[in-house]
Amino acid sequence: MSSTGTLRKIIAFFLRDFAIARGYRGALVLETIDALFGVATFFYLSRFVESPELERLLPAGSNYFAFALVGFAFFDYLSVALSAFDSSIEEARQNRTLEALLVTQTPLRVILLGSAAYPFVALALRTCVYLGWGALFFGFVPSHANWLGALLILAASILAFLGLGILSASYQILFKRGNPAKWVVLGISGLVGGMMYPVAVLPAPLRLLAHLIPVTYALEGMRAALLGGAGWIELWRSLLALLMFAAVLIPLSFLVFGWALRRTKITGTLTHI
Amino acid sequence: MRIEAGFAQASSVITARMCASSPAIVVENLQKYFPPAYSGWRAFAQPVAKATECALAGISFQVEAGEAVAIVGHNGAGKTTLLRTLATLIFPTRGRALLGGFDVAHEAAGARRQLGYHTGGDEGFYARLTGRQNLTFFAAMNNLTGREAHERIAAVTEWMGIPGEIDRQVRTLSTGMTHRLGLARALLHGPAVLLLDEPTRSLDPLAAADFRRLLKDELVRRRGTTLLFASHTLSEVEAVADRVLVLDHGKSAAYDSPTRIRVSTGARTFEEAIARLTRSSAAMESIG
Repeated sequence: MSSTGTLRKIIAFFLRDFAIARGYRGALVLETIDALFGVATFFYLSRFVESPELERLLPAGSNYFAFALVGFAFFDYLSVALSAFDSSIEEARQNRTLEALLVTQTPLRVILLGSAAYPFVALALRTCVYLGWGALFFGFVPSHANWLGALLILAASILAFLGLGILSASYQILFKRGNPAKWVVLGISGLVGGMMYPVAVLPAPLRLLAHLIPVTYALEGMRAALLGGAGWIELWRSLLALLMFAAVLIPLSFLVFGWALRRTKITGTLTHI
Repeated sequence: MRIEAGFAQASSVITARMCASSPAIVVENLQKYFPPAYSGWRAFAQPVAKATECALAGISFQVEAGEAVAIVGHNGAGKTTLLRTLATLIFPTRGRALLGGFDVAHEAAGARRQLGYHTGGDEGFYARLTGRQNLTFFAAMNNLTGREAHERIAAVTEWMGIPGEIDRQVRTLSTGMTHRLGLARALLHGPAVLLLDEPTRSLDPLAAADFRRLLKDELVRRRGTTLLFASHTLSEVEAVADRVLVLDHGKSAAYDSPTRIRVSTGARTFEEAIARLTRSSAAMESIG
């Protein structure tokens, strides 16, 4: 299939999911308001925990509120990457569209990528809402941000997370539900990835573990770019690490996914719930 | 005119494929074994479990282009497994199946270009979207976009008798309408071969009769589409099928026209013939 054809199909998936989401406008409004509550919670938590000792561990020029807000908003990219692919399979199984999709002229890998298009765009908007509420009401002003650097870190992070997401989907098509790999990755990443506190506060073994997972580099790079206004020299380490994760995880995940798909076609369980 | 033009285009594609003298479907010694279904911790071994349960035990048959063939047999005889194998949804264990000249296991993309697949219980649509939005999406999945998709959707919905319903959300459609929408989806890309699994299962008797006329007169006779369908309704099989493949415990018990099957078994009715061939006096689930 040509890249134009693939792109057209991914757009068709996006339009499908956008049309479905439009049917639930109330939910969109409530999610936007819910984000305000989340940001407000971080703000008041930060007023409680901020101390000179803590500030020493944060990127230069930032405070705990900005640190936690960026951590919380961008950790979601890992969550969405891990759930978008297997959720798309699960939903298609549940609403019984999977079989209809599988007999079309669209390979399953394009079905997977297409199904993830809307969740990532929606997440980008949600991130803007989070940062927007922070800026509007709670003094979050990334005035020194390196926006281009932040975008590159985000793109590299998504690539690194995609591999994990496709591995998660492989588990989903093989074993249907209760994806422990997803929860292990999310659990470890939440614990040691630096979402709510700097990696520096962790004991040495956990710090080592932190450097073996992509979300650490994603959050480190994003905070450096957004809060510290870091230049390319300071960002290259995070970028390189994320691209290396992507270079290993994406081919590996497609290999595993191909194997899983083949096995389910042999066992006849691909569309089973 | 536009509708006719849309179908003329689809039909010309079909005709071009059918000009080749090769059969539309070739199945040679097709075998399918499934592993037993595990639960609990053993379910983790399911993907590599040894396939021991026989669903198809070496089926061979051919379907000529433009022919209507029915598959009959008791529950568990292998009808759905055969159709799902041809639809590229599962791999055969041994043997091979060609659809429009493409091996369904090794050239699945080519085979999918040739086929439309629809099951009688098919309600697999996005309920909050309209019929048109659903069809537009599935048209895109079959490489139809823009004006071509628009014209094809207009053509198939007109043909299915649902042009007035297509702009309603699918969740508001009746079972019969949803069923027609499903068939419209299967026909969108003008497939040369149509695979149907119990196509009238969820239709009332009048709608089912309409549907049979549509299959036989329009699809097979007029458009030249090759039809392979599974059914428990023997009157439907007699009315629509040129030939019947009788399956019994994964084996082919007969493959001939309904009349010849009745004569060769010495039975008074087709129903009796099928009962004899499947070694059971139990009637089929429904005899229409």
